Amino acid sequence: MSTTDTHLHIDNVSKSFGNVQALKGVNLEIKRGSFVCLLGPSGCGKTTLLRIIAGFENASSGRLMLDGTDISQMPPHKRGFGMVFQSLALFPHMSVAKNIAYGLKLRKVSGAEQRSRVEELLNVIELPGIADRPVSALSGGQRQRVAIARALAIQPPLFLLDEPLSALDAKLRDNMQIELRQLQQKFGVTTILVTHDQHEAMMLADELVVLKDGEVYQSADPATVYQKPANSFVADFLGAANLVPANVSKDGHVMVLGQEIACDTDHPAGTSLSAAMRAEHIGLIPVSKAKGHPVGAVKFLRDLGPSTELVITVDGQDLRVRCDNATVPDLSIGAQIALSLDGTRLSTFKA
Amino acid sequence: MRVGLLPTEGNSTYRFTVLLLATIGILISSLPVIVVTIMSFSASDNTGFPPPDLSLRWYWDVIAMFTQEDANSAQSVVDSTVTSLLVAFIVMIISTIVCIPLAYALARGDRRIRDGMELLFTLPLVFPLVILGIAFLLIAESLRMDIGIWRIVIPHVALVLPFVLRNCIGAMNGISVETEEAAISLGASPLRAIWDVVIPLMRAGILAGLIFALIISFNEFTITFFMYTIDVSTLPIWMYSRTVSSLDPSTLALSVFIIVADVVLIVLVDKLIAGRANLF
Repeated sequence: MSTTDTHLHIDNVSKSFGNVQALKGVNLEIKRGSFVCLLGPSGCGKTTLLRIIAGFENASSGRLMLDGTDISQMPPHKRGFGMVFQSLALFPHMSVAKNIAYGLKLRKVSGAEQRSRVEELLNVIELPGIADRPVSALSGGQRQRVAIARALAIQPPLFLLDEPLSALDAKLRDNMQIELRQLQQKFGVTTILVTHDQHEAMMLADELVVLKDGEVYQSADPATVYQKPANSFVADFLGAANLVPANVSKDGHVMVLGQEIACDTDHPAGTSLSAAMRAEHIGLIPVSKAKGHPVGAVKFLRDLGPSTELVITVDGQDLRVRCDNATVPDLSIGAQIALSLDGTRLSTFKA
Repeated sequence: MRVGLLPTEGNSTYRFTVLLLATIGILISSLPVIVVTIMSFSASDNTGFPPPDLSLRWYWDVIAMFTQEDANSAQSVVDSTVTSLLVAFIVMIISTIVCIPLAYALARGDRRIRDGMELLFTLPLVFPLVILGIAFLLIAESLRMDIGIWRIVIPHVALVLPFVLRNCIGAMNGISVETEEAAISLGASPLRAIWDVVIPLMRAGILAGLIFALIISFNEFTITFFMYTIDVSTLPIWMYSRTVSSLDPSTLALSVFIIVADVVLIVLVDKLIAGRANLF
């Protein structure tokens, strides 16, 4: 075990397909036993990166170091990383047990041991007694779990998942996220998951890697990425953030929507910035009590049950606001309302 | 959706028209089989239709042909049947061995190459069979050596290949690259992944292709007519030569045997692949 306990070091990995640069010098250090989510919009290179790690694509340049050994040139079947595919890719001509035991069979594990391992995994995924069913007889969630069990059966050093939950309906997906996280912790396996769903990434990750156009935009724990986004793209991609122009008025203060608020910024006075405010971080106060606060008109209003979603137009700019139902004042469309902004929850980026 | 044998929707004119067309269609396509079958039970020596009396005498004749040595014929019916089956068997094996890797390469490869290759392998279908026969005969004669049964096997393979290939490609289309990659990620070498995952999933298509190869090769006449020799001849050639000399109903009885064998084969395979591939 190395001193930093880096399990996989992605060292300056680039990939081009013809003229298209899919990955531009990606550097990542993945800690042993951590759950890493590669998050980004489609075409950001996240799947390419995962396929390079799995060995199905070769990097145009750069290296992959697993426990200090260069594995860049190792063919995928020698790497022994368990992978769950977007389509799950279960073997339709094999029973559940044969699917799970396939990797063990290749490793010449004895029949009895295969059976006991399958039994054990089926218990872990809470589907005992389905060993002899054909995979076509399983529901979506069951297939999902069998695919995960199949990949974990070979006790892989790395566990790779390519948008495995995207085919499930919302409720099942939520449950599977929790189960997947629990499974990962039970096995303690270093896991890399690709997703375009920010909620899923927040739910699962120890470390969130936001990719765009083949570049890592930010890599940190989910709370940091959410609260201190590195740039406006990350702020926007992780949950609807309002991006508004701002200006550093004096040290530690910015002008946003005509209001000067204290804010943690290292830019010198006069710098043009763009400020990101999350919908749930904007408060609403009656106009009469709000001197100096920005005032806008309610353009859209929707009660979602636990919270209310509003769009408020301030100086021609639409802002999304999400309020706890307990705190939302009685409003109707067109009403004037003042906003209270929280400087500590404001992220600013050079415009 | 449940589809009834007879149309139940629409007005009576519509139903009448549909039934009429269906009846005509079925009659036309099955007429030869019906006529041959009825004639084979004829009790008379000639092939006048309809037969004046019915009997099984021509069936006994056929059985006698196969069981008794026929001194008059240079090439007995037994020899041609054996040759026919042997040719069909070799054609099946060769076309499968060629088509499985070919279908794999074409399905996984460049789309444009695939379309071009498919067209190329379909050419024997649109080529006039007589010309094809002459071409193969010219090639065989220019070899200046006796290649035995292969002078029939090789043209048959060319003829059968498009059918087998199309079935194999069809079977490949349903197999995602991810299924193969899943096997590889679990530790299978690329070849092992093909053996363990791709070929089992292609099985229905391969089987359908094999049956095609068997039936087409066994029934092939035109090209074989150019290629057969005194030593190497097939059953259709034997039947033809017999009908030329004397058209008696024993040939028809033999045909009924072949038809029954074909039907059994098709039903069997249809059950075996049960909707996982198309025979036609």
